[in-house]
Amino acid sequence: MNGSHKTRAMIIVTSLSLLFTALCGRLIQLHVFRHSELSAEASRNREIVVQRHGRRGEIRDCNGYLLANSQSVRLVCADPSITASNNPAAIAAQLSPLLKMDVPALMTKLTGPGKYTRIKPKVDEETAQKIRALKLKGIIFEDQYLRAYPHGALASHVVGFVDGGHKGVQGIESSMNQHLEGVAGYEVIERDRKGREIRALRTEDIEPRDGYHVVLTLDQVIQHIAETELEKAMTEFRPQAGVIIISRPKTGEILAMSCRPTFDLNNAGAASADARRNRCISDVAEPGSTFKIVVCSGALNEKLIRLSDAFNCESGAWLYAGRILHDAHPYGTLTVEQILFKSSNIGAAKIAVLRLGPARLYEYIRRYGFGKKTGVDLPGEVSGIAHPLARWNPLSISRIPMGHEIAATPIQMLCAMNAICNGGKLMKPYLVKRVVDSTGRVIVEAAPQQVGQPISPTTTAAMTVALRRVTTPEGTAPKAAVDGYDAAGKTGTAQKVEGGQYVNKYYSSFIGYLPSENPELSILVSLDDPSGGAYYGGSVSGPVFQRVASKVVEYLGMLPQKTHPRQMVSAR
Amino acid sequence: MKCNRKREPLRVGTVSRSVLACVCIAVVGVAYVWQKNQIYRLGGELKKREDDASAAVKRTTMLTAQLAQLKSPALLESRCQQYGLGLVAPREQQMVRLPEPGPEWDAKILTPASPKTAAANTGKKPVATTTRTAPRTLAKR
Repeated sequence: MNGSHKTRAMIIVTSLSLLFTALCGRLIQLHVFRHSELSAEASRNREIVVQRHGRRGEIRDCNGYLLANSQSVRLVCADPSITASNNPAAIAAQLSPLLKMDVPALMTKLTGPGKYTRIKPKVDEETAQKIRALKLKGIIFEDQYLRAYPHGALASHVVGFVDGGHKGVQGIESSMNQHLEGVAGYEVIERDRKGREIRALRTEDIEPRDGYHVVLTLDQVIQHIAETELEKAMTEFRPQAGVIIISRPKTGEILAMSCRPTFDLNNAGAASADARRNRCISDVAEPGSTFKIVVCSGALNEKLIRLSDAFNCESGAWLYAGRILHDAHPYGTLTVEQILFKSSNIGAAKIAVLRLGPARLYEYIRRYGFGKKTGVDLPGEVSGIAHPLARWNPLSISRIPMGHEIAATPIQMLCAMNAICNGGKLMKPYLVKRVVDSTGRVIVEAAPQQVGQPISPTTTAAMTVALRRVTTPEGTAPKAAVDGYDAAGKTGTAQKVEGGQYVNKYYSSFIGYLPSENPELSILVSLDDPSGGAYYGGSVSGPVFQRVASKVVEYLGMLPQKTHPRQMVSAR
Repeated sequence: MKCNRKREPLRVGTVSRSVLACVCIAVVGVAYVWQKNQIYRLGGELKKREDDASAAVKRTTMLTAQLAQLKSPALLESRCQQYGLGLVAPREQQMVRLPEPGPEWDAKILTPASPKTAAANTGKKPVATTTRTAPRTLAKR
C-alpha cells in the first residue's frame, strides 16, 4: 500500500468516523437531552384520548314500565374533500333512500367546501350499518344519544325533557338530573393508518358509569286514564286549561298528574311555553269553595263549632264590613254540615268571623301548608299566595273562607284534602319512588313523609261525615258519586281575576277521595274557564271525577263497599 | 500477501454450539413475533367483541323503547278498538272475589295442630300433613 492509498483510506475512515460521531451526537441529543419533550410529542401524535359518556338513566313508572330512555344513534357526516372527487352523484343516489333525503340536497353537502359537513343527525343504528356496508369513501359517523319517550305526551309535564346536551330542563329529567346523568370515562388508544383502533395498544381504559334509573310513583295506566278523561273534558267543556292529579292520601304518592294543554315529549321544542308549563305546581288561582275545608276543619279542630251547630245564612246576602257577600243559592239557617255540603259562602264566612277569628284562621292556613311549597320532586313549583295577617283588610276574614284573597296551586289543595282524609296527617307529595342502578340495586328509596298535623283524627272524621254528603243528591256534586263506593269531596267554583277585576270566567274544581272511611285514592279535577254554560264545580268537574274514579278503582281491583263494606283490598 | 495460517478442521462441538445459538435466537425471534401477532389478533378480537356488546346494548335500548311503546295503554286501547276485540273490564257480577286472609288465618294454616291432637279431636286416624301458604287475594293485579 503506497502513501496515496493510505491517505485516501485515512480520509474515508476519518469522514466515516466524523459522520458516525455526528449521528451519535444527534441520537444522544434526541434520545437523552430532548427525550421527555420528544416522547411527549410522539405520544400526542400516536395516542388519542377518547371520551366515553355514560348512558343517561331511564325513567320508569311504579310497575317498571319505561317512560324515558336514551338510545344510541349516529350523526352521519361527510368529508367533502374526499366525496367531491369520488363520484358524489353516485354517493348521493345511494344515501338518498337510506337517509330519506333529496339527492340535490345531498349533492350540495357532498360537494361543498371544507373537510367536514353534517349530513343527517339522529340516524338509527340499523340505517348506519346499511350505509357502512356500502363502504362509501368520505362518509363518517359520530356517536349521538337520543332521548326517547315511548309514550309521547303521556305524563309529559312530570317526565320532562332534555336539551341538546342531554341535560334535563324540565320535570323529573331536570330535578333528578344528578342521578340520571352518568359519569364519563375515557380511554387512551392508538389508531392504525386506516384510523382503526389498535386494541392491544390501549393504555388506559376508564369505564363510564351509566346514569341511575329513576322509578316514579306514577302508574302509567292510571296516568292514561287521567289523560283520556281530561282530554274528553277538554272536548266537552272547552276550557282554556285543565288539571287532574291522583294521589294516595296515606302516603302522599302521586299516581297521576295530567295537564292540558300538553305536548309531545319527542318534539318538545315545537311546543309553546304555555303548553310545557306544569299547571299542577306552577299555576296559582283562588281555590274557591274547596277552601271551605280549611276554615270548617279549623273551627271543628278548635272545638269552636260542631257539625250540628246552626248559622243563619241570611237568605243569600250578608252585609259585612260595608260589602254584601252572596251565596249561589239563598239559604236560611244551615248547620255546619249543611254549610259544607251545600257550599254556603255566608255560612263559611260566619264560622270564620264569629268563631274562628283571623289569627286562628291564618294559623290553619299555614298549618295546611298554604303559602309555601309542598316540596314535590319537580322543578318550578311556586308557593302560592297567603298574605300575612298584617296585610289583611277588614273584608279578608269573610272572603278567605270561601277561597278568595288567597291563591293556591292544585297540588297544595290536594295535599290539604289529603290531610283531611288521612287522620289529619299532612303528607309531603312525592313522585320519585326510588333510584336504582342498572343491576337493580337501590341507591335512594323514598318513604312517605309527614310534614304536619293540622287537625286531629276526630276532626277528620267529622269532616268526612259532611264531605260524604257532597256527592249525594242534596249536595253540590251528585254527579261525582261513584257506583259502589262511598266518595267524599268538595266542589269549588272560583271567579277568575283578570286585570285586577273579577270577570265572568270560572275555575271549576272538585277534590274528592274514596272510599271515604279508609281512603285509597284522592283525585283533584280542575278546569280553567269551561265554556258552554255550565261552570259549577259539581256539574263540570264532578262528572270527570266520577269517570276517573270509576276506572281507577276498577283497575286497582278495589272491592266495592256495597258488598264488602269495610274490606278494602290495598291497591297494589 | 501469502497466507501462512494453517487450515484447522471444524470442530463438531463448536459448530453445534453455533447452530444451537442460531436456532435459539431464531426460536426466540419467532416466538416474539408470534406472541406479538397473537396480542394484536386477540386485541382485534377483543375490539370486535366490545363492538358487538356495544351494538347489542344499543339494540336492546332501542327494543326496550319499542316494547314500551307497544305496551302503552293508549296503543293497546286503539288496537282493541281497531280489531274489534271487545276487550272490556269484567263487570262486578262476572268476578269471583276470594277473601284475603288476615294474620289469624296465616297462623292457623302455617302452624297446624299436631296430627295426634287433631286425631283425638276428630276421632280419626292421624294422616300426614303438609304446610301450605295461605291463599292470597286474586283481586290484586
